[in-house]
Amino acid sequence: MMSDFAKDGVFHALKKMGDVTPPSHEFPRGGAHWRTKDSVSTVSHVDAPSQQDQVSRLTAQMENTYQLGPTKHFPVVTVNSILKDVLTNYLQEEEYSPELCRQMTKTISEVIKAQVKELMIPRYKLVVTVHIGQCDGQSILIGSRCLWNPKSDTVSSYVFRNSSLFALANVYAIYFE
Amino acid sequence: MEEYQRHSDEVGFNAEEAHNIVKECVDGVLGGEDYNQNNINQWTASIVEQCLAHLVKLGKAYKYIVTCAVVQKSAYGFHTASSCFWDTTSDGTCTVRWENRTMNCIVNVFAIAI
Repeated sequence: MMSDFAKDGVFHALKKMGDVTPPSHEFPRGGAHWRTKDSVSTVSHVDAPSQQDQVSRLTAQMENTYQLGPTKHFPVVTVNSILKDVLTNYLQEEEYSPELCRQMTKTISEVIKAQVKELMIPRYKLVVTVHIGQCDGQSILIGSRCLWNPKSDTVSSYVFRNSSLFALANVYAIYFE
Repeated sequence: MEEYQRHSDEVGFNAEEAHNIVKECVDGVLGGEDYNQNNINQWTASIVEQCLAHLVKLGKAYKYIVTCAVVQKSAYGFHTASSCFWDTTSDGTCTVRWENRTMNCIVNVFAIAI
């Protein structure tokens, strides 16, 4: 249960700043020669909170809910099928190309987030990550570890492959106590 | 009887600090190494675990998600993006890109306030 003041504060913050999306990464590859000295990655899309909000960065004070855990747990199976559908629909027929995949990672992560939000699981924060790579003999390992409360928090993951690319999507759901 | 007041995170997530911590961890594990199929599993595991351990030592009331991707340097492209639904005043993220002669490494840290 939140006091009115707190509710306004949080919603105002959320409405104003939107979601924070970290920059998407790209390692461009040229034909015969490529730089080994400096990083050649580019930041192409960042949504960052504006500086003026530094002053009012107090987190809302909330009343005690006396709730020990989530009333409704995160439906991992439903989310797995959402991931599978989204990835298959967007990538089934696609060939790897740098431009397409750069846009695709951003679009897919937004779409997945929107669909999971529609499930309306109360008090859960979401982190959606999408990795897309070209699939041709090179080796890659992606790992993640989380420090959380395993009774209430969870992760859902799906890997999609076709002849030219692979895509990995993860959804982390964190209960807001 | 006083009601328990949650200590508010007045400064939010400190991305600078996290950036430095992660960079040190990656340098420590991968610095000077060449890409090696046999060790890669061990390396990602130790990068992630060390990062988590250092972040926890900061003693803040946060839950952490740390992801690490290590790619062999080759002519092939790799893209990564993420989208988050959270409270932007208290939660935050930090990404570190690291590379050497034979491999690239991307580490993402997401910190979510309790």
